[in-house]
Amino acid sequence: MRKALKNEGVQAFIASIFCILLGVLIGYIVLLCINPSGASESILNVIKNFLYKKPARQMKELGNTLAKTMPLILCSLSILFSYKVGLFNIGAAGQYVAGACASLYAALAWGWGWLPCMIFAVVAGALLGSITGLLKAYCNVNEVISGIMLNWICLYTANTLLTNVKESTSPYTMYLDKINKSSLLPTLGLDRVFGNNENVTIAVPLTVVVAVIVWIILGKTKLGYELKATGNNRNAAKYAGMAQNRNIILTLAISGALAGLAASLLYQTGYMRWECTQSSVPAMGFNGIAAAFLGGLHPIGAIFSSFFIQHITDGGQYVNTNFYSSQISDVISSVIIYLCGFVLFIKLTMKKFLSKKDEQKGAKQ
Amino acid sequence: MLLLIQYTLIFASVLLLVALGGCISEHSGVINLGLEGIMVVGALGGALVMKSLGTTSAFVMVLVAMLVAILSGMLYSCLLGVAAIHFKADQTLVGIAMNLLATAAATVFVKAMNVAANPDNHSSEIEYISARKMFIVNIDGFEFNWFMLVAIIAVVLVYVLLYKNRLGLRLMACGEHPQAAASVGVSVYKMRWTGVLISGALGGLGGLGYILAGVSIWKFENGVAGFGFLALAVMIFGQWKPTRIAVAALIFGLFRALSNTYTGFPFLTSLNLPGNVYNMMPYIVCLIVLAFTSKASRAPKAEGIPYDKGSR
Amino acid sequence: MGETHNSEYAIEMLHITKRFPGIIANDDITLQLRHGEIHALLGENGAGKSTLMSVLFGLYQAEEGTIKKDGREVRINNPNDANNLGIGMVHQHFKLVECFTVLDNIIMGVEPVGALGFLQKKQAREKVIALSEKYGLQVDPDAKIEDITVGMQQRTEILKMLYRDNEILIFDEPTAVLTPQEIEELMQIMRNLAAEGKSILFISHKLAEIMAVADRCTVLRKGRYIGTVETKNTTMEELSAMMVGRNVNFHVEKQPARPGDAVLEVKHMTVASRVHNNNAVKDVSFKVRRGEIVCIAGIDGNGQSELVYGITGLEPLVSGSILLDGKDITKASIRKRSASGMSHIPEDRHKHGLVLDYSLEYNMVLQTYFESRFTDRIGFLRRKNIRQYSDRLIDQYDVRSGQGSITPARSMSGGNQQKAIIAREIDKNPEVLVAVQPTRGLDVGAIEYIHKQLVAQRDAGKAVLLISLELDEVMDVPDRILVMYEGEIVGELDPKQTTQEELGLYMAGAKRDEVKDQ
Repeated sequence: MRKALKNEGVQAFIASIFCILLGVLIGYIVLLCINPSGASESILNVIKNFLYKKPARQMKELGNTLAKTMPLILCSLSILFSYKVGLFNIGAAGQYVAGACASLYAALAWGWGWLPCMIFAVVAGALLGSITGLLKAYCNVNEVISGIMLNWICLYTANTLLTNVKESTSPYTMYLDKINKSSLLPTLGLDRVFGNNENVTIAVPLTVVVAVIVWIILGKTKLGYELKATGNNRNAAKYAGMAQNRNIILTLAISGALAGLAASLLYQTGYMRWECTQSSVPAMGFNGIAAAFLGGLHPIGAIFSSFFIQHITDGGQYVNTNFYSSQISDVISSVIIYLCGFVLFIKLTMKKFLSKKDEQKGAKQ
Repeated sequence: MLLLIQYTLIFASVLLLVALGGCISEHSGVINLGLEGIMVVGALGGALVMKSLGTTSAFVMVLVAMLVAILSGMLYSCLLGVAAIHFKADQTLVGIAMNLLATAAATVFVKAMNVAANPDNHSSEIEYISARKMFIVNIDGFEFNWFMLVAIIAVVLVYVLLYKNRLGLRLMACGEHPQAAASVGVSVYKMRWTGVLISGALGGLGGLGYILAGVSIWKFENGVAGFGFLALAVMIFGQWKPTRIAVAALIFGLFRALSNTYTGFPFLTSLNLPGNVYNMMPYIVCLIVLAFTSKASRAPKAEGIPYDKGSR
Repeated sequence: MGETHNSEYAIEMLHITKRFPGIIANDDITLQLRHGEIHALLGENGAGKSTLMSVLFGLYQAEEGTIKKDGREVRINNPNDANNLGIGMVHQHFKLVECFTVLDNIIMGVEPVGALGFLQKKQAREKVIALSEKYGLQVDPDAKIEDITVGMQQRTEILKMLYRDNEILIFDEPTAVLTPQEIEELMQIMRNLAAEGKSILFISHKLAEIMAVADRCTVLRKGRYIGTVETKNTTMEELSAMMVGRNVNFHVEKQPARPGDAVLEVKHMTVASRVHNNNAVKDVSFKVRRGEIVCIAGIDGNGQSELVYGITGLEPLVSGSILLDGKDITKASIRKRSASGMSHIPEDRHKHGLVLDYSLEYNMVLQTYFESRFTDRIGFLRRKNIRQYSDRLIDQYDVRSGQGSITPARSMSGGNQQKAIIAREIDKNPEVLVAVQPTRGLDVGAIEYIHKQLVAQRDAGKAVLLISLELDEVMDVPDRILVMYEGEIVGELDPKQTTQEELGLYMAGAKRDEVKDQ
């Protein structure tokens, strides 16, 4: 038990659980403040999400949550990958937009197949990421501020471009399955497992594979060694002859590629359409931050934390809308991000507590 | 043209207030990336006052709305203070969380309020048509907004505070070399709290100014569209100096104002550019400006580094 | 002095014990400072001097023991309390805000203010000028700290204490950054201050200075109190034995050098400064040959760091060229230089030398991880080979750590961190070894070890370029000394012929030769 507690991974897990519990508790308190009578039921619905439905529908709803979890996992991988190099890629939100714009435009305007569309999205995200990287490496522009600026630039660009392929009667882009079926991601039969939910596609296995690849790159390869060295001590990395600027740009390009892929894996299921008048950047990239930190900045941790965040985000729609709004789940996830800022402190406290115990034990012997 | 000047001045005033907030916070050693969220909360506080105060004299309205915006901003900035000063949290992460939380919480709150008033109203909007008029003095078609005056006063106050006052001397020492400040008995925690709270006050005030700038109704789901980050860019461009920040704010204000008023300029409309181009303009200008000014930046040396009593 | 004192002692620290996690920094230490005396506190790096002074200054609180001022017990919880008791301190690393003026730095914390906290600097300025005249402390109150010399910065620190009318003055390793002449000046200032009735605590590990200026000396070793002696009744040998716990031979044993061909040639090198607009290194030329140790001496901040950055590739040259074994490496990348036979023991082991969050084994391959023995063709690290390699270095160079290869570098002692770097750099079998302040902050045992390694490199026919600020090291280790002053090489000296005084004149820029291309 004590040995387990000393393990870094276990500590990270405990800290994450603590953040989740506190986040949900605060969400519950907010609901109580708004209207005490329905609060308990609503917060339970948020946590249940698809389980709220009748058993027959549960698999199908789980499928929808999974369809959105995959892009979230990729966004959180994007965030954590750059964070390992000491960069905060808040531009993931914009790179996600670029990916969405690229894949939808290629699919609707040019009639490309699913794979070219997907690759196009990846390239678009990577390009955008490398702009942030270039600015950081050669002009010393803070990547958070340039990321935010690019997010807005991308949003307006995407709105303008995608207006060309939108339905004439609504602000939404046209349906992929009506215009270009070949651009939809193959389902590999996974749809049947999830109650004929065609939103469950190749995205699921693909994402897990990507997460494992990211894990391997960071943990076992020369590139990972260089990137983490740069993140931990930029000066030492330079001293060791690592190509710093190249690594910064490469990192943000890979980050951007992951975010771009994320968008492609959501929009090419046909589950979501782009709203050409939307006035804020989709939350997926920002939720990626929550998922990355909640997952202890570990690629495999990101899989589980992303599922959780998406689970409660979807659960938001099951609150009693007579009193509450679905954004309560955004409140919960942003509180969780905030609390993640304390993870370091929580871990330190745990370590101090353990070493104190050890000392006392030592003193007794 | 008059309209362009009017919009430039009001947006510049808002940018200036928020950028000064960021400037003070960074001089004390805390990077405040949560300004965006602080603005939303300040705007919410002000909007609630404007909605609930109803008919009253313009003086009382302006004063109370501003005070409440300031207080709500300060209160919200405590989230940053606690995490960054006492718990050595990652200031970037905390700031971003604050931005997300502010928009989400404001939406939940306003919706709940609207629903309580009218069960069919699920919007996140607050209306303040009559109250907005009280902030504005019409001079020959030019709408003078009290925020313009407030912004000028704020520059003077911040300048005097930083360069002529004991508090400023100590505060800046904490952002440059906190160990030096501590060694002569200055409490680094206290100074950093002062910096964060002042930035909360100015950010909250700026938030109210922002929603009053052009419209009489605000949808809180939208937040403040990156304005807090634009203000940080203004601060960097202004090299952390109040007077330069004022100039930078005017430049950025102009580009922001263009997106509201470009239809009034025949030669701009004749270019036939999509409106989104003008929407993008401030952000693009910001990127270009940052690319050229960040290299030689003179940011406070110890900003963003948690102060640890033990380290020397 | 007509004052009467309640006690013989101005300050007494009795039975002070201060623990940090895993270490007892001060173990039952007693220190008594008389009125008007200069009292030295002697000990090696890590002996607990700084901790003890931090306790006195209120930066730390001791777990056990008492502090008395004038015989009365006092509690010092923060620097304010210390200040109120008249205790002031010149810290080893100056506590000055670089972008503030001298005056602002002096008054900070005790600013004269009018209503609403508005600063009133006029009287403050007069007081500062009066004090600087009285004690011969030349400064310009309106100059910014970043623009003035280290000596002036130190005077600012002293004025800071005097401005507060402090009676008890602590000097923490004040001579480390000064030239011999400046050191002499500082000693005179300290004597003046003591004559005016100030009580002075002088922290140092330099025996000659202590013998020259102190009345009494308290010695610490490994956190323990060893004893207090009158300097007129003791010798340097006795003090050094008390400090180290054994008789040490400070002199480095070595045979005369037998230099061969030039390995490293620097020609007309100019390097820009990061701090100011001038060039930090100006038209410098020299050679380092096989089988010799060349030392660049000089006061900190005269361009030595930039010289090293230029040679090792951390900064680009403005002009000039560098040859390694006859090949031009002026434009070569850091990695290329490393592969061509250059090793670099960096000035700051935490800033450049180590990735503190990496394990020891990962740090051992920091310069070589990409080689085929540590990385396979696809790009995966060969972790088994890395482990074996690291284990061998740990064994061969006697690097001690808690868990061997997997120890986090952060948790190792400074001496062992430095040994790890030296193992890594020497094991690359370089043609030229650039060692920058390789013994900084280490205890005598580690210093001896490192000096032996440098001499061994030399004797193996390699070239060694040593950059040092420590006068003893400059005099003892190298075969040739080049003195740097304001970015130029102003003299070449033979350590066997020259004296510390002559060296000091060169270091201060008071004397210079035309050093020609060899």
